[in-house]
Amino acid sequence: MAGFDTHTMFQVLTAALLGGLIGLDRTALGQFMISQPVVAGPLTGWALGEPLTGLVIGGMLELVWVLDMPIGTFVPADSTIAAVAATAIAVIGSPGPMRLPEVGFSLLLTTTMAPVTMFADHLMRQRNAKLPEFAAAADGVTEARVAIAHLAGLIAFFVKSFVLCLVLVPAGLFALSWLVKLPEVVHRAMTLFVTLLPLLGVAAVARKLSIRTMDRYLLIGCGIGAACVLLLHVPMPVAAALAAAAGWLGGRAYGT
Amino acid sequence: MDLLGVLWRSFFIQASWSYDRMQSLGFAFALAPVLRRLYPDRNELGERLVRHMEYFNTQPYLASFILGAAARVEEDRATGRDPAADPGELKRTLMAPLGALGDSFFWGSLKPLAAVIAVALLLGGAWWAPVLFLAVYNVAHVGLRAALVLAGYATRGEVVALLTRYNFTGLARFFKVLTLALAGAIAGTVSAWVPLFRPPVPVHGAMLTAAGVVLALGMIQLLRAGGSPVKLMLGLAAACLLLAMGGLG
Repeated sequence: MAGFDTHTMFQVLTAALLGGLIGLDRTALGQFMISQPVVAGPLTGWALGEPLTGLVIGGMLELVWVLDMPIGTFVPADSTIAAVAATAIAVIGSPGPMRLPEVGFSLLLTTTMAPVTMFADHLMRQRNAKLPEFAAAADGVTEARVAIAHLAGLIAFFVKSFVLCLVLVPAGLFALSWLVKLPEVVHRAMTLFVTLLPLLGVAAVARKLSIRTMDRYLLIGCGIGAACVLLLHVPMPVAAALAAAAGWLGGRAYGT
Repeated sequence: MDLLGVLWRSFFIQASWSYDRMQSLGFAFALAPVLRRLYPDRNELGERLVRHMEYFNTQPYLASFILGAAARVEEDRATGRDPAADPGELKRTLMAPLGALGDSFFWGSLKPLAAVIAVALLLGGAWWAPVLFLAVYNVAHVGLRAALVLAGYATRGEVVALLTRYNFTGLARFFKVLTLALAGAIAGTVSAWVPLFRPPVPVHGAMLTAAGVVLALGMIQLLRAGGSPVKLMLGLAAACLLLAMGGLG
């Protein structure tokens, strides 16, 4: 990394703005799933000039967090900030073509920051409790006051994500500049870590969707995937289509 | 036209989400186009808005159904067809069951299915997978939101009609089966994956593939034993370090 020069600061600011905007989709606006890591990562990478890094990071984080659901008052870890910040740290901290060790370091750095994002979300939602009070002013409720109070929440959600990115990305860049100096064996470990991370995503999905570790549909999918790789040498989309077809047939056979 | 306004504003229903009243302000904001037409008197409009600012929380997409139903009840009340109608009671009755139904369907089955399809394609080198993810998810999401506002208005919040029309529970189970099968396919092929967006390389020998599947099953077991994804991610990194030090990777 060349240090926090003007170009780096501009890139950090771009990532923070993007994080703020994409973060709105997470709760406050639309929930079109632009905030999911598999979209937020590539978007950030594209904005910073390296979409490939964002694709890998987004894909890795997607399955790990996809079933962390915002039910009731539970606020899950902010996977949007994690995807945006990890992509920004990896791209800004390692200019040029994607390097897997830097991707691994960035993923680990932002994962350890998850409690910070949850705490910030918690604080902001507590603060939002004052908005209905503003709408219900002493001189009566008007439609305009309701709209102003309600839409002020959008600003709060934007500022939360913007500030988090503005703090976490430079902190991550600083940490990354030290981590890249670690011995070569650590770099190889990080490459292996990124390669194996989809398995943790699979485990996280299977853990939430089935009460059995040896779920029959999961195992059927494993078998089909393995056969496609080892015997048929067909591309992944074909393996996925075959597994989906098997799941569909199995689901029908078992009345699901 | 009012319902179009309600549909548009329903996308903002969680803009001021808070712990104590959750979507209350959002509900009043979304229903305002209907209330404005029904209650031209400023004080009466204010009073109705206050009524809709009471505690409310449900799954944000299925809130569209309750919004449509509340619009109809308000209309019946204001026009004298049913002067005693109480949209508050309707909201209190519907929000919890629709919340559970929507959480299970959208967050618990449709989103994971769309995600697992996207990741499976990403691992195969398809850069356009995120676009497909958005398309698959939002065709269902936006289409249902629009249909639910109209269905809520037409049925006056008749949940049985909603469940007859959309078999959410059956679809959720079906999507979960598909998601598990696709997740299995990812585990079975991950040994061939090169995270550089090139087509997967052919793998010679079953050991690597079997190791990947065993590792995935082991991590499921660890998650069941109380491990969190964050802890497992750190644990995986530590394990990779040991493997690299041992000459692997």
